[in-house]
Amino acid sequence: MSAKPNRVGKKPPQKYSIFSLAHQAMQKHTGWQAAWRSPEPQAEYDVIIVGGGGHGLATAYYLAKETNVGRIAVLEKGWLAGGNTARNTTIIRSNYLCDESAKLYGHAHQLWEGLSQDINYNVMFSPRGVLMLSHNVHDQQVAARHFHALHLNGIESHLLGPEEIQEKVPLLNMHGRYPVLGGLYQPRAGNAHHNALAWGYARAADQMGVDIIENCGVTGFMIKNGVVKGVKTVKGVIRASKVGVVAAGHSSVLAEMAGFKMPLESMPLQAFVSEPVKPCFNTVVMSNSVHVYMSQSDKGELVIGAGSDNYVSYTQRGSFDLTDCTISPLIELYPFVSRLRMLRQWAGIVDITKDRSPIITKTPIENLYFNCGWGTGGFKATPGSGHVFAHSIAAGEMHKIAVPFGMDRFTTGALINEAAAVMH
Amino acid sequence: MVKRARLPGALLIDQKQPITFTFEGKTYQGYAGDTIASALAGAGQWVLSRSFKYHRPRGILTMAGQDSNTLVQLLGMPNVLADKTLITDGLQVEAQNYTGSLMNDKEAEISKVARFLPVGFYYRAFFRPKGIRNRIWEPIIRAKAGLGKVDTRHRGGYYDKAYGHYDVVVAGGGLAGMSAAISAAQHGASVLLVDENPILGGAMNYARADIKGKRLRARCAQLRQTIAESANITVMTDTVCNAWYVDHWLAVIKGCRLHKVRAKQFILAAGSLEQPAIFHNNDLPGVMMGSAAQRLMNLYGILPGKNAVVLTGNDDGYGVALELREAGAQVQIIEMRDLALAQATLHDGCVAAGLRIHYGSAIYAAKADRNMHHINGVEFGKIAGKGTIAKEHQQISCDLICMSVGYTPTYQLALQAGGKLGYDDDTAIFSIENLPKGFHLAGSLNGVFATDDVQADGQRAAAQALDGLEITHSLAADFLPVMVQVNHPWPIFEHPDDKNFVDFDEDLMVKDIRNAVKEGYNELELVKRFSTVGMGPSQGRHAALNAARLVAEATDRQVRDVGVTTARPPFSRETLGVMGGRVFSPERLTPMHHRHAELGGHAMRVGAWWRPGHYGVGVDRVAEINSEVRNVRENVGLIDVSTLGGLEILGADAAQFLNRVYTFAYLKQPIGRARYLLMTNEAGTVIDDGVACRMAEDRFYITATSSGVDRVCRQMLWLNAQWHMDINIINVTAAYGGMNLAGPNARKVLQKLVSDEVDISAEGFPYMGLREFQVAGIPAIVFRVGFVGELGYEIHVPATAAEYVWDQVLAVGQEFGIQPFGLETQRVLRLEKGHFIVGQDTDAMSTAEEINMTWAITQKKPFFIGKRSIELRNRALSKRKKVGFRLPSGITSMPQESNLVLKNNKMTGFISSVWLSPTLNAVIGFAYCAREDAQIGNHITIKCDDGTLHQAEIISPHFYDPDNARQKL
Amino acid sequence: MFIIDCPWCGARDQSEFSTHGEAHIVRPEDPETVDDTEWGQYVFYRNNVKGWYRERWMHAFGCRRWFNVLRNTASDAIATTYVPGAPRPSLPEDT
Repeated sequence: MSAKPNRVGKKPPQKYSIFSLAHQAMQKHTGWQAAWRSPEPQAEYDVIIVGGGGHGLATAYYLAKETNVGRIAVLEKGWLAGGNTARNTTIIRSNYLCDESAKLYGHAHQLWEGLSQDINYNVMFSPRGVLMLSHNVHDQQVAARHFHALHLNGIESHLLGPEEIQEKVPLLNMHGRYPVLGGLYQPRAGNAHHNALAWGYARAADQMGVDIIENCGVTGFMIKNGVVKGVKTVKGVIRASKVGVVAAGHSSVLAEMAGFKMPLESMPLQAFVSEPVKPCFNTVVMSNSVHVYMSQSDKGELVIGAGSDNYVSYTQRGSFDLTDCTISPLIELYPFVSRLRMLRQWAGIVDITKDRSPIITKTPIENLYFNCGWGTGGFKATPGSGHVFAHSIAAGEMHKIAVPFGMDRFTTGALINEAAAVMH
Repeated sequence: MVKRARLPGALLIDQKQPITFTFEGKTYQGYAGDTIASALAGAGQWVLSRSFKYHRPRGILTMAGQDSNTLVQLLGMPNVLADKTLITDGLQVEAQNYTGSLMNDKEAEISKVARFLPVGFYYRAFFRPKGIRNRIWEPIIRAKAGLGKVDTRHRGGYYDKAYGHYDVVVAGGGLAGMSAAISAAQHGASVLLVDENPILGGAMNYARADIKGKRLRARCAQLRQTIAESANITVMTDTVCNAWYVDHWLAVIKGCRLHKVRAKQFILAAGSLEQPAIFHNNDLPGVMMGSAAQRLMNLYGILPGKNAVVLTGNDDGYGVALELREAGAQVQIIEMRDLALAQATLHDGCVAAGLRIHYGSAIYAAKADRNMHHINGVEFGKIAGKGTIAKEHQQISCDLICMSVGYTPTYQLALQAGGKLGYDDDTAIFSIENLPKGFHLAGSLNGVFATDDVQADGQRAAAQALDGLEITHSLAADFLPVMVQVNHPWPIFEHPDDKNFVDFDEDLMVKDIRNAVKEGYNELELVKRFSTVGMGPSQGRHAALNAARLVAEATDRQVRDVGVTTARPPFSRETLGVMGGRVFSPERLTPMHHRHAELGGHAMRVGAWWRPGHYGVGVDRVAEINSEVRNVRENVGLIDVSTLGGLEILGADAAQFLNRVYTFAYLKQPIGRARYLLMTNEAGTVIDDGVACRMAEDRFYITATSSGVDRVCRQMLWLNAQWHMDINIINVTAAYGGMNLAGPNARKVLQKLVSDEVDISAEGFPYMGLREFQVAGIPAIVFRVGFVGELGYEIHVPATAAEYVWDQVLAVGQEFGIQPFGLETQRVLRLEKGHFIVGQDTDAMSTAEEINMTWAITQKKPFFIGKRSIELRNRALSKRKKVGFRLPSGITSMPQESNLVLKNNKMTGFISSVWLSPTLNAVIGFAYCAREDAQIGNHITIKCDDGTLHQAEIISPHFYDPDNARQKL
Repeated sequence: MFIIDCPWCGARDQSEFSTHGEAHIVRPEDPETVDDTEWGQYVFYRNNVKGWYRERWMHAFGCRRWFNVLRNTASDAIATTYVPGAPRPSLPEDT
């Protein structure tokens, strides 16, 4: 490893604060520095991260900040955070059942809480509380199991009865087709601003010398004797000692370039945004058994999440059937939304594993690492995912939180039981 | 009440039918056919709303429902388009997003601190110290959020869906669309013609192509007539084609109904959207598109201003000027082009009419009154270079500025279909390529603007569609239209005080876009997300092109390289009610359903099924369940098991097939015997169970779990699609009604319902035996199983007769103490007996080994689904094991299902089933615990809801009658 | 919302069908002899191709029969459908 380079450029990095905002206002905002440079790739790096979404940028940031890796680049096929980072419903929670998951998501949750200050960028983490509804006895039992497990792990959550739920979410129809029998409430959970997360990491990583290179799609890997030596890109060959791939829905495509398969399927995941209305919905409410999730953004838009379509597609376009199957129960649960208008709809490409747990792993190619399989719930994990992946790549050994998430579990049978109660 | 005269000849209103409504509490009069915006404009009320961020007054911009300046609030309905929504008598309309009153909005003061709120300001502050954002800032920011108020008491209205299938669907009923529809229909195609306006004709209804303004109206009337006479054209007006999905699946919305339309060929003839020029105060009331002014005059009879200035960069501005002049306004024209480029028919008409034209000039600023309620003048000068105006300015007093500087094609549906939008930076002409097969464009979407060419282009599109339908025709499929440059390449002008808006929805000015690029957000999509340009309610319809131009300029690229934007459904904002449609609530009822209600059954929902949990007056649920348990143990009970899945496997390979699909052995299963079924998936996880009844050498009747039967059947069909075994698989779940008669008196009851020839003695019909005989005169499949642990007969009869048999069994059972029992009771009974339930006591990881079911897995078979994975997983056993446990009956804190099993305060498992057994007088249950602790006699720690810790003794899970003596009676 | 040409019923809306992932995942001839890695590959690993993909569909609200579909996952275009056991159609030219 070479020594850490100094910040590239002449000026010291600009700090964001209310004072810099006032200062810049006097100059008509002509003095803001670019949030990140747009460098051309160098010939060689110590670590290349393939994928400039939230997870990839977080990985690069923690590599630069907390490890002794010197030259780091993030290669992005299109524009920064243009994949699933820009296409999710920004829910953050850590109420997972298995020890392994609880550690991973709990780690992420802790990082979220100090993230704006750490990266000097307001990621707008808003712990407004996440409520998961139970519509039948099975849901209630699953909720109770989660509650007890969370309690044991020191994560605050509450089992709410119908009256408490109605009080918290007065707009909920408690007695429709999907009767609300109870719910699990995590007060410290909430949401954040998806773009801010990626841009904040990008800016912070850039300030520590990470080269963030957009429009630099990877077309292949240079592999010699089973060891990765670099990547081929649309901007030419770039050598690297280690490569970390964080490509979400396109992970299988990249794995194929390296000559192996992944236990993944890439499917469309739709979400919807309403026109902005005055705040009326303060909690993030999830209904796992009917796959409907809703929150209201600070801008006033209702953000609505769906379940995934169940066929492989890279089109970033889902079927109307699924839209139908999301909006119908949404109206049943929240009758008032029927008069609201939908403004935008989109679909991300989510990479789903059979046990609905992510893969953070070494691969058959030495020094080539993959971080994928986050399925429908990767946004919340971004800081934790990047953090453990960065340390795994730097050390050449998987971080202890990441160990259970290796792809070898699909051949040893040691799957992670989150599939028992799929939650998003 | 304010009331003013209208111009004669307005197409959409009926001046004989006045309508009164209120806006902001004040009463106004309009006419039938008026929109809220036109009626208000007709009464001189031009301010309709306050802008999102700076609370600037806003008014009519497009008059086409394509901007968010006219969003108003109806009772409980926010963000309604005032320029599309018709007035009705007594309609109450309010403006949105102000404090105080619309005309005197206290929040307009925010403009003064605008410099402290640059684009993306919220990313840069409000987060130190930690926690301050959520305590202090977020409530402030949220209070400013949103536009209208949603009626949270609204309980949903009536919405539904319809389906349509057409050879050709044409979206857009202007000249191109009408022409295409007629041509396609004349050759026999079934055609759906959709237009969002109340009448067909599009721009022909308001624009002008000749000096006298007669030509388009005449042509429109003629085409409308032809369409009306055409039998195979279905016309839907006031209808929007809102989304395109693969293979021309279209979301067509009219009112509260969503039409799911499938087209074989799709012609998009949606025309173009006029674009704004950018200058200081270009957003204020009184500044509108040239086409908006034409719509106001020709459709609603409203003269939008007495002193008008038309800013034009194309020939259409002259049409606007002529229209205004004829309606009685004073008009001056500011022509961005030079005289040489401007000369054309309409221009010459304006010259002949004596209108003053300022060539090579552009607007520097619009002037407005102090409150900015309306513009009152314009400051303009010669164009000195791209985007700049020479220092010498002139002023004109005016109350109307019309902008005719260009169009973007209505490309949304084409882009949804994967089309790529191209833009020629030299000619400012758009193109759309890469469309899927069967998707055609017509009219101005193809860059065709000249009247005859547009009509010909419609025919050309029809020709292509007919080709796609393989219908022969004589239409010309190729013609060369005259390409008209309608877009001025740079209608964007600087001003030292900014307020030159690029995006009216989001209050973004030229500098905001430039600053976003400067800060590193140099891709259009990043600029969009950072600045939110194009993210407002009008979805960037008027911002996308100018934003792309500014990004291209700032990054030293061409617009064609920057790209304009992407488009995803929906085309227009649409209510969620329309998308969701009617909410259906499917339910399944068993054949005996009504009897359960009569007997006092407490219905519970199990998937789509309704089942009685238990019976009784409902005072004490536990007592009622326990009473039913005791009656089954002591006398006899009857439970409806019709929800149980039923499959028939027929054919020579039936036994072989079951042998491959289930874990147990079935080849040698005798006819007349039932045998347990356990199903694992390829990963070795337990996914279903049931009973296999061998009816004949080549016929099995098998059961599956209520929730699993559809999946099991589907999987079997798949497996046999691969294996091609000689079998048929039939799902007969709904064909049979089932009931389980259980208890020591069961035989006595059954004996009363079967003829004497039928031997149901313990020897003649033993445990796990299977017989077919008549019960109460109804042919039945009867088998002896012991799920609840007593002598029991499972009786399956044709569903139509099930209620009758149920009644007969209960009737003859009276003397033996028969009582019906419910699902919850059954769960207690089977727990006492030690039987697990798939889904209750297993999860998506459970192996047979974990749940002590290895006896049901035969190692002798060479193959069954899951065998290899079971071996693999048995080599590296999981950390947990399912056990039976017991607690003394005297405990005060009752554990619940889902309570955890702890070891050294770490979770090692959980309780999957638990009950205070009335039979054993002890709390018994199943739990998962650490494998190393799972020996009989050990104790595990259970933590109750209230925190109480119990030491539970692990005992054999066969709590009741471990020797199976009772079920074998 | 593609149209799927069921080999038995003809062209129908996607809504009538259910889908079940990649086709031609062949169970090892003798599962007992393959190692755990190969077996794990069979159970969990999929090609997940961006481009032409052969997959299993079932006409769930129709004839309830299974068949294979050759679909482009990058565009959702369907080239052809074919019954199980039929020879695999070759990939269209334009890949």
